[in-house]
Amino acid sequence: MATMQDYSNKVTPTWCPGCGHFSILRAIQVAASKLEIPIDKFASITGIGCSGRLSGYLNGYSFHGIHGRSLPIAQGIKMANKELVVIAAGGDGDGFAIGTSHTLHAIRRNLNMTYIVLNNQIYGLTKGHTSPLSDTGLETKSTPFGSMDNPLKPGITALAAGATYLAQGFSGLQDQLIDIIVKGIEHDGFSIINVFSPCVTFNKVNTYQWYRENIKNIDEDSTYDSSNYQAAMNKLIETDGLCSGIIYQKNEPSFLDRLQGKDAKPLTDLNLKISKDEFENLLNKFK
Amino acid sequence: MKKNLTLLIGGIQGEGVVSLGTNLMKTLSNLGYYTYGNRNFSSRIKGGNTTMTISIGVEKQLCSKDGLDIILALDKETIDLFNCKLKPNGLILFDSILSSKDLNYKEDSLIPLPITEIAKDLSAPIIKNTRALGFLGRLMGLEQNELSQSLKEKYHTKGDEIVEKNLKALKESYNYDGDIFNKEEYFLSISEKKSSKAVMMGNEAIGFGALMAGCRFIPSYPITPASEVMEYMGKVLPRYGGAMVQVEDEIAAITMAVGVSYGGVRSMTATSGPGISLMMEGIGLAGITETPVVIADIQRGGPSTGLPTKHEQSDLFAIYYGGHGEYSNIILSPSTVEDCFYDTIRAFNLADKYQCPVFILSDLSLGLSPQTIDDLDYNQVVIDRGKIVIKDELSNIERGTFKRYELTKDGVSPRSFPGIINGGHHVTGIEHNELGLPLEKPENRKNMMEKRLNKTAPLENDESIDIYRTNNGNNTLFLTFGSIFGAIKEAAYLSGKKIDFGAIRMIRPLPKKQLTFLLENYDKIVVVENNYRKQLASIIKEELGYHSKIHSITKYDGTNFTINELVEKIGEWA
Repeated sequence: MATMQDYSNKVTPTWCPGCGHFSILRAIQVAASKLEIPIDKFASITGIGCSGRLSGYLNGYSFHGIHGRSLPIAQGIKMANKELVVIAAGGDGDGFAIGTSHTLHAIRRNLNMTYIVLNNQIYGLTKGHTSPLSDTGLETKSTPFGSMDNPLKPGITALAAGATYLAQGFSGLQDQLIDIIVKGIEHDGFSIINVFSPCVTFNKVNTYQWYRENIKNIDEDSTYDSSNYQAAMNKLIETDGLCSGIIYQKNEPSFLDRLQGKDAKPLTDLNLKISKDEFENLLNKFK
Repeated sequence: MKKNLTLLIGGIQGEGVVSLGTNLMKTLSNLGYYTYGNRNFSSRIKGGNTTMTISIGVEKQLCSKDGLDIILALDKETIDLFNCKLKPNGLILFDSILSSKDLNYKEDSLIPLPITEIAKDLSAPIIKNTRALGFLGRLMGLEQNELSQSLKEKYHTKGDEIVEKNLKALKESYNYDGDIFNKEEYFLSISEKKSSKAVMMGNEAIGFGALMAGCRFIPSYPITPASEVMEYMGKVLPRYGGAMVQVEDEIAAITMAVGVSYGGVRSMTATSGPGISLMMEGIGLAGITETPVVIADIQRGGPSTGLPTKHEQSDLFAIYYGGHGEYSNIILSPSTVEDCFYDTIRAFNLADKYQCPVFILSDLSLGLSPQTIDDLDYNQVVIDRGKIVIKDELSNIERGTFKRYELTKDGVSPRSFPGIINGGHHVTGIEHNELGLPLEKPENRKNMMEKRLNKTAPLENDESIDIYRTNNGNNTLFLTFGSIFGAIKEAAYLSGKKIDFGAIRMIRPLPKKQLTFLLENYDKIVVVENNYRKQLASIIKEELGYHSKIHSITKYDGTNFTINELVEKIGEWA
């Protein structure tokens, strides 16, 4: 039996006491232990920022890359070896500012991996700058007169890009968070999980209390059908994106499935040697 | 009878000029001739004049020759633009739908031929190419059945009807009655060796080399003049279990390649200047995380969009010094299509051996000029993955103790791939300790910097400069890189002077030992390159001194050196 400790490398996180990210780290470790993911096949990839530190606290193979690029790195690792369980994570800057384009295209490519957005609606590590997910009017060091841009809507953006699994969680709702991560990892395709994770130091508006009062828990609505695209869109519009649970899920083949078929070997297992006859054939194509 | 012949095919872009040229080159190469095709095109899809100059000979052709023996014009602009390059007894064959009255050129060299006319009758546009091929083949004294064979090979996948139509068109143009076809003036001498040879561009050779080297994944973003690398690999990789993916941008291309390589699979990307600028941060990530990755840079005119379809060699500074911070990288600079193949294999082996980014620095002329190549040697295909941990090797160590960045004598540490038991470790672009965990302490920083920056030093002793001596009495060495090499070789031959010349095949690390020897033994080294700031010469001066011995010939107008220009410049120095 695996335990959550198996997935921890015992390094003490540098996050501020009370940071929402602790809950997400724990949820990932619990989800991994519930799924009994072999530690040597567990790969976590992060970007830069407070969220980026997450891979540095996980056991297994972990890659802390550059700002906004955790998804291309993670997709590369998954393409190389599709037998790995790959989890990418990043903040709202990683996922919806510098790396927005990668987020959308990773959704389109639909590789079987999980992307967790540690969304605190602020840039914490730069000590409090506005994020593309900050509400209009939020006063930060870079928006002394309040944020004047409209926030991006991560849920609707993900659905519009064709997400095959979209869930949202809240650091203050551990059980549901663990559940949507487990199901996200189990989902055969790209799962994007947007987690509201309060920054206790720099975001004095979107606090634990504020999220508790504003987030609608979809699990409490027994009539909700997560396979209905229209209903998912409606839910996100009705709640202004402030809802938690599995919002939408469907099955579609990934880029690799379409190119190679489901049964293809991982690239790491390929025999690289090309015979002399094959070489001659390849050369003859140029004649 | 001619031993060498240069012809230019011109027409409106998008109408198959390149296809016709390539077809002719393949046919000739099948017969044992050597060809070199130089494309001139603009950044648009259809419309605008485009040309292909083909140099043909019984000996190896490594560049485009200056004077034209034959112009085949499918539009009027081709004649207006290029008649000035026609040799005194040269011919202009033109499509008879162009009215010869509009053509401002001496009449006796103008030969109208019914190219479009008959093509129309057969109601298939590609027939036009076959018509032209028939006329050219006949003019050069090639056998009709040799041309038929080549057409059958080209069109056999398109069905019998297409093949029949083409053969009919070929026969009609071959049997066309014209005075010019009755002379043997333009017949090619018999090729010495009747062995069939391949026609390849540098870009295809890089793709082919990568495949043979065991590269099984290429993320890439299309860009002129590098796209053919991803196109070739996209075609062949699935057959070998691999994949090409066209990603959203160059940043994704390089970082995904890093991910794939970290995942255990040889990976590369290909781009040109603007892509290199975008990739710099990702290349730095490969540098500090010591992840092998191969990047082909097919240079074009810069900066910014610059001259997107023109030749230049101005990315050298960017990749030699580029990126913030300091790390090792390796720059290989192939100078022929064959080099592109072998150097790509070498690039993958060096990337794995030294665990760093390796550039293949090519240029537009080398990348996009199809040419007849000598047979590639299968025995030179060697795959060496360097210091990698094999499965189960770590089964006895304690989890979490694998030192991915172990400080070793040669600065290279063992690498494990995800999936390998007990090989798990952390990788970060932050300065880190031997386990890969962040550590900013000065002593650790110093050790890690020295490890990363010194590890490629052994390459400085490599003999990476190919020297051709025709000496002498003349103590000047002309040194160049990339496609200029072919032009220098031809110019050296034509100049009639006995000069020495060489091509540098690895620019970083600079082969200091060999260069120092050369600088000690020649009075002058003249560096020939296509950029304004004398980039290669500057790097050599910076690294080795010898300022008074190092001189430069440069050209930066978007075109290659012509042979005549080089003959003249060589004359000034030698």
